[in-house]
Amino acid sequence: MMLGLLLVCLQVVAQNRTLSGRVTDAQGNGVPNASVNVKGTNVGTTTNADGTFSLSVAPSAKALVISSVGMTESEVAIGGKTNFTVQLTTDTKQLDEVVVTVPYGQVKKTAFTGSEATIGSRNLERQQVTSVTRALEGQIPGLITTNGGGQPGSNASVLVRGVGSYSASSSPLYVLDGVPYNGSISSLSTDDIASVTVLKDASAAALYGSRAANGVIMITTKKGKKGRASVTANVRIGQMSRLIPEYDRVGTPDYYELMWEATRNRFAASKNPATGANYTAAEAATAASGMFTGSSGLVYNAYNVPGAQLIDNNTGKLNPNAKLLWQDNWEKALIQNAMRQDYNVNIAGGAEKSDYFLSFGHVNEDGIAKFSGYKRFTTRLNVNTQATNWLKAGVNFDGALGNQKTVPSGGTATTNPFYYSRMMGPIYPVYQRDAWGVYVIDPVTNQPALDWGRPAQMGTRPYAGNSNLLGSLALDDRNTATSNINANSYLEAAFLKNFTFKTTLGATHYNGYATTFQNSQYGDADNVKGRSTKSNNRQTTYTFNQVLTWAKELGDHDVRVLAGHENYRFQQNFVSATRVGFPFPGTSELAPAATAEASTSYENLHAIEGYFANANYNYKGKYLLSGSYRKDGTSRFSEDSRWGDFWSVGAGWRLKQENFLRSIKWINDLKLRASYGQQGNESIGDYYAYQSLYALGWNNVSSPGAIVSTLPANQLHWENNTTANIGVDFSLFDRLQGTVEVFNRVSKDMLFDVPLPLSTGISSRRDNVGSLYNRGIELQLGYNVIRKKNFDWRIDLNGTHFVNKITKLSQKEIIDGTKKLMVGKSLYDFWIREYAGVDPQTGDALYYRDELDAAGLPTGKRVTVNNINNGSYYYHGSSLPLFNGGLTNSVRYRNLEASVLLTFSYGGKFYDGNYASLMHPGSYGTAWHTDILKRWQKPGDITDVPRIQNALATQNGVSTRYLFDGSWMNIKNVTIAYNLPKTLASRVGMSNAKVFANADNAYFFSKRKGMDPQRAVNGTADWTYIPYRTITMGLTVNL
Amino acid sequence: MNNIKKLLFVLPLVAAAMTGCKKEYLETQPTDNVSAETVFTTTQGAYVALNGTYRTQFTSYNAGNFGQKSFDLVNDLMGNDMVVHTAGYGWFNTDYNYTAGASAASTQRSDRVWWHYYRVINNANRIIDGVKRATGTDAEKQDLKGQALGLRAHSYFNLINWFQHTYKGNENKPGVPLYTEPTTEGKPRGTVQQVYTQIIADLTEAETLLTGKTRAHISNINVNVIQGLRARVALQMEDYATAATYAVKARTGFALMNSTALVGGLSSKTNTEWIWGMEVNTEQATIYNSFFSHMDVATGGYAALGGQKKITKALYDRIPDADARKAWFTAPAAATSSRPAYNQLKFRVPTVGSWAADYLFMRSSEMYLIEAEALARTGNEAGARTALEAVVKRSNPLYTAALFTGSALVNEILTQRRIELWGEGFSYFDIKRLKQGLNRPSGTGNHGSPSFDPRVFTLADQDASFLFRIPQDELNNNKALTPNDQNP
Repeated sequence: MMLGLLLVCLQVVAQNRTLSGRVTDAQGNGVPNASVNVKGTNVGTTTNADGTFSLSVAPSAKALVISSVGMTESEVAIGGKTNFTVQLTTDTKQLDEVVVTVPYGQVKKTAFTGSEATIGSRNLERQQVTSVTRALEGQIPGLITTNGGGQPGSNASVLVRGVGSYSASSSPLYVLDGVPYNGSISSLSTDDIASVTVLKDASAAALYGSRAANGVIMITTKKGKKGRASVTANVRIGQMSRLIPEYDRVGTPDYYELMWEATRNRFAASKNPATGANYTAAEAATAASGMFTGSSGLVYNAYNVPGAQLIDNNTGKLNPNAKLLWQDNWEKALIQNAMRQDYNVNIAGGAEKSDYFLSFGHVNEDGIAKFSGYKRFTTRLNVNTQATNWLKAGVNFDGALGNQKTVPSGGTATTNPFYYSRMMGPIYPVYQRDAWGVYVIDPVTNQPALDWGRPAQMGTRPYAGNSNLLGSLALDDRNTATSNINANSYLEAAFLKNFTFKTTLGATHYNGYATTFQNSQYGDADNVKGRSTKSNNRQTTYTFNQVLTWAKELGDHDVRVLAGHENYRFQQNFVSATRVGFPFPGTSELAPAATAEASTSYENLHAIEGYFANANYNYKGKYLLSGSYRKDGTSRFSEDSRWGDFWSVGAGWRLKQENFLRSIKWINDLKLRASYGQQGNESIGDYYAYQSLYALGWNNVSSPGAIVSTLPANQLHWENNTTANIGVDFSLFDRLQGTVEVFNRVSKDMLFDVPLPLSTGISSRRDNVGSLYNRGIELQLGYNVIRKKNFDWRIDLNGTHFVNKITKLSQKEIIDGTKKLMVGKSLYDFWIREYAGVDPQTGDALYYRDELDAAGLPTGKRVTVNNINNGSYYYHGSSLPLFNGGLTNSVRYRNLEASVLLTFSYGGKFYDGNYASLMHPGSYGTAWHTDILKRWQKPGDITDVPRIQNALATQNGVSTRYLFDGSWMNIKNVTIAYNLPKTLASRVGMSNAKVFANADNAYFFSKRKGMDPQRAVNGTADWTYIPYRTITMGLTVNL
Repeated sequence: MNNIKKLLFVLPLVAAAMTGCKKEYLETQPTDNVSAETVFTTTQGAYVALNGTYRTQFTSYNAGNFGQKSFDLVNDLMGNDMVVHTAGYGWFNTDYNYTAGASAASTQRSDRVWWHYYRVINNANRIIDGVKRATGTDAEKQDLKGQALGLRAHSYFNLINWFQHTYKGNENKPGVPLYTEPTTEGKPRGTVQQVYTQIIADLTEAETLLTGKTRAHISNINVNVIQGLRARVALQMEDYATAATYAVKARTGFALMNSTALVGGLSSKTNTEWIWGMEVNTEQATIYNSFFSHMDVATGGYAALGGQKKITKALYDRIPDADARKAWFTAPAAATSSRPAYNQLKFRVPTVGSWAADYLFMRSSEMYLIEAEALARTGNEAGARTALEAVVKRSNPLYTAALFTGSALVNEILTQRRIELWGEGFSYFDIKRLKQGLNRPSGTGNHGSPSFDPRVFTLADQDASFLFRIPQDELNNNKALTPNDQNP
């Protein structure tokens, strides 16, 4: 009986046969991701990385259909066989069908005359990032990405082909599934993204002419494929830690010795009221010992000997009998290693007439700064249907709920934990100590009491008194709850012969509900019993377009013409209110708060309307021509000048299609292309750039008030960006593919906030002035080093070099912070004073100064001065890199894959203001960089660190002393993945399973420890959220 | 048939697309701004511009710049009589040690002072210009123009004193660019004399325009404020007859406060003495970035964070024990760690836990003291004593000035001026006016260790340190100026 049952079971199993095999290309290399289907059914699988597959089929199965992108489809009869080797051949016709997403449609890659670069989902899924903008670094030639800090849920900023604008935004236009997008990028799950295409030249981007001057980044989401439904689940767990290490700072013993010295030097440089003469060295030493740990000095004495005995007045060294009573670490108190979780499930599939893609995702990141983090839930539904034989419709719908919990970062607010923990002197404790250095216990919590630096505790801490971020950030609340809903729907009708009409409506609704709560117990708002601000920022955007297309093939002639209309409208509604006086802790809601402080609301509107047309022609797929034209009007400019004209022409020549190249085997493909055209930029100011306005809200008690805010600019018009692009695409020796492009991007009539003399009482006026160009060369190469059955190795390299140069300005020069704009210079050339080192006799910091003749002109000679205010300014190079790019190595051995992405930027200067702040001449309470140990101490010392002396303000400031080489290299991503063998996977009911580990931002190299030259394109430091490294373990399962 | 159906479906859409939107689609208007044209359509609109300009006198740029009172504080901190307790958060320490004004860099002190007053001047010029086109009564137009002229004169008077030495003896030195109408073109520095000529012309016209007008609020400039400014300007110019006459005119109707109001009476517009001041309510208060944050320990602001402001022991000791004004400062015996000896108690918020506290710009005691000084310098010693005693006897009934004559009388008036107006923003301009140089007493209780060390204790009269540098951004963008126009 038992045996019988077993036999029956075996019988059943035997009825479903397992077929296995391998799919190869003409060279015998395995073809990964090829689809293997049982003919006439939905039963199927895809091949592994090495091209192998295994599939369980019913006895009725007659044949397998094997297909892969770019290959001819092949059908094999099953018969009695269980093992197959199927060779697919490269299909030139199919290769034609690799399409590029372009404005208002798609075009065959081979027929494309513009400049674009695409990264696909395979590249994206290696990087565990929350915003897709953070995955672009080093992947696409021509891009500069800067991190702007690493606050969880924030975006990287991206520049395409240099910097084309000054006062107007230089950001590219983002387009989501064909519709210009200004919702939240970080609300899009990277798992839902099929590809990111960057359009770089006029021919590629001209149809978005109105806003494409600084490039276009097109994000295309996934869609379902006809056939079997596939279910994919991803689980990724990671740990985040700070990428940029903290600067090296002096410890407690050195700190006391140095502060004593700075104090002594101050006395030595001033008059002794007791004697009427300058302090002698001995008097200065005694005076310093007497006060430097006192109430107008460091206040805190971390040693067990009195302040006056802490330092030996003769040697300046710490008393050997002094015992340290405490040593806390603010960095450890405020910065942590944090966890990152990322889950995603998607289901994709389709029937004969419809396809769908459905996904759900969740990300949860705890920030590396305590009390910060980001949570997000996403969902997406993409559906397309062929309703009738002439009518097609679809919708891409996505929604995201996010919560970004922030800590103040950037800037020198003492609530910024990065500023606070870096600049706090090493002697100040996190926890309160008594005179013996023993923890003081908080009677309420029974835990060690925090030290707030208040008189009632250990004294008024000279650095950031009345604060303890570990305490106040825990009680404060700063968060933004976001909801982002986006729906792009279209209707497409084919009519007459060769005509198609498509209308698309894209609508985005973003809502950010923000809370800024300062607690009622400690810190900045304890005196008013807490302060809370609630604000709501609601943004609704819609883009509506209608496009008519006529496409026809006439023998060797292929023609496609389209014309359309588009309008865009953005509406923002903002409301906020603040109240103080919270009777109970634990809530940030305004209801319990006693007193209203401020409230406001306003609305903004922005509209653009455009008409466009485009024509593409190719002859025998050999000669390609394209042209486009667009006319746009914007509400930012006045009626007289709001319309701008944008256009492009492009041409391509597929040399490989010519008879004289057809026979040359080692050239697989070769194409030349060129384009020229003009795009625009209008994004200056707050939506009403031309109007002469008075800013409201300047109320005087209960009388409404307003002051002049902007001057009239009726002639203000579109900034023009003319790009010429020449490129060659090649594929050689069956293993080397690449593109080389040169470009010249010229900005004219630049939108400019022209600075006015301050004495006119208004700081700038708007005008179209100035021109500049970005000229450069881009290279992209892919090389298959090894392509064997069990072993692949591919190298991808891309790099960009460009020059940014101003060719025209409204005035001789414009000084903007550390930069000076002049004709012949770049937008980011440093213009600062030049450090001349240290006077070995006095220890003074010296700066170069031009000797002037009687007419006030430089004689060409330079002298040195010890007052920085008298130093002359000079140019000291640009913050823009000479060369930047990325290098990817991908290796596969059997089922094991590994890849490393290295990104780099060479050249470009960086002004490290953080380091400058750590090199102060002696501010009580403020931390010091260890470089201060090299300070000048006595006549004859040769060093480049000047004397330390309290309040020596005229010897320190912005100069080349703190300007460094900003080159860097980042191991942006390391991935190791193992694909479970099909046989194993199918045994547990899966078609594919992959386990992987990633390291994102694995290691960062820069010239100086602590410096973050990737922060911003202008090459200056800020106290930003430190970018982080993420180490992730993950699992992807396909059912 | 099928094609017709499709066409019926598609054509209306195509037609709709090609016609585009209405013209108004691209006309959008802001809601938190209003067009300049709208503002000056009526006099009521012009009053909105005027009130906005007043508001600039008490809004904050950062914790060291909050309009007139921040510069008043600098004025005292660059003088002889105000001591900074410890470094604290450091906001005004570079003024105290004379390094801030030496920097022409953007956002530094000289830049912010320059920007503040020129912004007021530009807004005032636009009001003066716009009122011509506005509809409204003549009385309203006169009122608007008079107040705008007053704001302009006040701004130029402050600018010339920050960026040049005193009037007398420096009449032909470079002044500050003068603008009497809206423009985008920079002007040259001109001379000190030209600036004073303009100030007097503005005040003279404003006096005529504002005579007989009633103001809506104490923040508004009325004829008394104009007269008070005229007295200040005349004193600076050493035109003592005018100073005395106008001081009396200005204070008329503003009775001296009584001795009870003295303590704690300098943060409320209800004080009878106040001729001009800004009312600061909870909503419009600038919190940490405010005068009281830097002055009153009880706010928990910067004063409480180590930046306590103290009177010098030297001046404190000159206040008799019987004088109620001694209570303006913490007695050494009553010192605590948060309220150290000589810590100021003169300026205190009315309610602890609220930032609402008004800003004093001008009061009648100052006018009595101007009158006293002017009369003493012109030989009317009896009149001078009467004016002086009116102020001092209020806080010290035993006081008499009878024994003072000649220069001793002038010195006594100046001492009382330093005590009475301590912390109100006169010290530095007085040092420049009196050509006495800087003479800071040092030692415990005075300047320097153990208090925050200002490093600078004495400066000779007309030392270059007494001049703020012209902001670099002005030199960069004003075609009428060259680097040689920079102050030494």
